[in-house]
Amino acid sequence: MSDPIIRFDNVTFGYSGTEVHALESISLEIQPGEYVAILGLNGAGKTTLGLCVNGVIPIMLGGNLEGTVTVDGLNVGDYPVREMAKIVGMVFDNPEFQMSQMSAGEEVALGLENAGIPYEEMKRIIPETLALVGLAGFEERSPLGLSGGQQQRLAIAAVLAMNPKILIMDEPTSNLDPIGKQEVFDMAAKLNRENGMTVLVIEHEVEVMAKYADRVIVMDGGRIVMNGTPQEIFGQVDALAELKLRVPESAEVASILKSRGMWNGPIPITTEPAIAAVNELLGAKS
Amino acid sequence: MSMQAALPVALIPGNSFIHKVNPITKIVWVIGYIVLAFSTQNIYILYGMALFAFLLAPLAGVTKPLLKGALILVPIGSSLLALQIIAPAVEQPWTPVASLGGFTIYGDGLYYGLVLLGRIVASLLIALVMVMTTHPSDLFTSLAKLKMPYTLNFMLAMTLQLIPVFQREVGIIMSAQKSRGMKGSGFAAVLPSFVPVFVGAIERVQQLSISLESRGFGSDGMKTSFRQVRSRPSDWIIGIVGAAIFIGLSIISIMKGLWSLAHVIVFPGTFVLWLFIIAAATFAGVIIVTLIYAFKK
Ligand SMILES: Nc1ncnc2c1ncn2[C@@H]1O[C@H](COP(=O)(O)OP(=O)(O)OP(=O)(O)O)[C@@H](O)[C@H]1O
Ligand SMILES: [Mg+2]
Repeated sequence: MSDPIIRFDNVTFGYSGTEVHALESISLEIQPGEYVAILGLNGAGKTTLGLCVNGVIPIMLGGNLEGTVTVDGLNVGDYPVREMAKIVGMVFDNPEFQMSQMSAGEEVALGLENAGIPYEEMKRIIPETLALVGLAGFEERSPLGLSGGQQQRLAIAAVLAMNPKILIMDEPTSNLDPIGKQEVFDMAAKLNRENGMTVLVIEHEVEVMAKYADRVIVMDGGRIVMNGTPQEIFGQVDALAELKLRVPESAEVASILKSRGMWNGPIPITTEPAIAAVNELLGAKS
Repeated sequence: MSMQAALPVALIPGNSFIHKVNPITKIVWVIGYIVLAFSTQNIYILYGMALFAFLLAPLAGVTKPLLKGALILVPIGSSLLALQIIAPAVEQPWTPVASLGGFTIYGDGLYYGLVLLGRIVASLLIALVMVMTTHPSDLFTSLAKLKMPYTLNFMLAMTLQLIPVFQREVGIIMSAQKSRGMKGSGFAAVLPSFVPVFVGAIERVQQLSISLESRGFGSDGMKTSFRQVRSRPSDWIIGIVGAAIFIGLSIISIMKGLWSLAHVIVFPGTFVLWLFIIAAATFAGVIIVTLIYAFKK
């Protein structure tokens, strides 16, 4: 196995002015090209974990940080956030607070201008990226005049245009309609598969995670409490229920059937295996 | 919500010749206007400049918004003239031309009032034409080219961008407070909403700076630029000709002791009297209308 692209080594962090630790003894390795989903209740520390990867913690948001975070061989904290930006692209959870420009085209251009991409290339990249997130032709629109969902798409485009090695998205689709959500995750999956982009998604919708992620990390009270493939994690319906977390509906149904002795196979976590399982059950009955 | 709806003065998109003039050329003209306006007391020059600026509006297709923006001149102009006519801001002795009740009406007061007003009208009109025909981003790109410190430039641009956001936020918070039963109108009602808006502003600026740095934004500025602002020969010509005229007239004016025509142009007493009455009535009218409007709300 290659070197991990993200490595947390026993990281504990508390925001300055607070008593509690937002992160508690986190050790974690993420390999290049992985698609990782992070799950947890409000306040579990998911956003904080993401901020440690692009260096906003400890550079811009101060606090008490112990342990080391290594990203692409660099010790985070030794480099300004704008340097880390060449490696890590982060989409934050509040889209409106990420808009700074007069037009959507310029919003996408900002990162490219900072990276010194020539004008001719920008002219190609910007419409391409806007189209990728479903905002083709939006170049001249004012970011503040967009809907919440369109702003989220724009925030994603602004980061994607820079073609980062690692893409972190913090609840990137909270304002999107179901089709929009699917489009965003399909797009991330495509970048992940075709360009080998490492993707880290913080997301509450378990169905989405079960479908797309290679790995699911469950956080609670600043700790990583579960870490495995979607199949491993969402199969543990009771353990997740204890953490007040949902599992995909198909897994929930299957686990009820299992507890009544009506199903003995693996717990299906996405729709297709669930349908296959139902067919198998019905076939056995008839 | 668009910028246009939220800001009283903003770019009116268009394709006119004036829209296409390089922002730096426009800045040269605005600065030239202001310098000349404040180095002369010749009302022909001042109102000639105002007229010229006003005539640019139809060329740029911004007449209506320009008139709307220039409405602010009504209270300023009427109060200024009325005050100057009864209490000139020039050295004594003043020439009384009429009297009204306890007030003495002075002719040189009117002239000086017209000078002050002319300066404001000329500078305001040219500035409005410039703002209404220049894309803010082009302006800031140009300023950056002039080696204006990048962060300062960015802060200016951001402030412009944030004004409509805050306007909207005040609106949202006010209606939220109303729905929680808070009564009141006017300033008393706006005041409590400043606290959440202010707190929100700090949070917004912090989050925005995190987002910007995460996209590589730094104090050393953009390495390349997406907005391409061209400067054509005509931009140079217009800029240089403008600068020559403004500098020339300013120098002539200053050499002629500001070129005041106060003793050349003599206003008839009744004319000044009527103008005073009209100006005072207009200003009183503006105040009354504002008060009625405020109370109705
Ligand atoms: N800027 C901050 N200053 C102080 N404490 C903070 C700050 N940001 C987060 N915290 C605290 O750190 C803890 C973890 O917060 P974090 O934002 O990482 O949670 P989260 O898992 O992203 O939650 P959510 O699902 O609500 O986004 C919480 O207890 C929170 O109150
Ligand atoms: Mg969060």
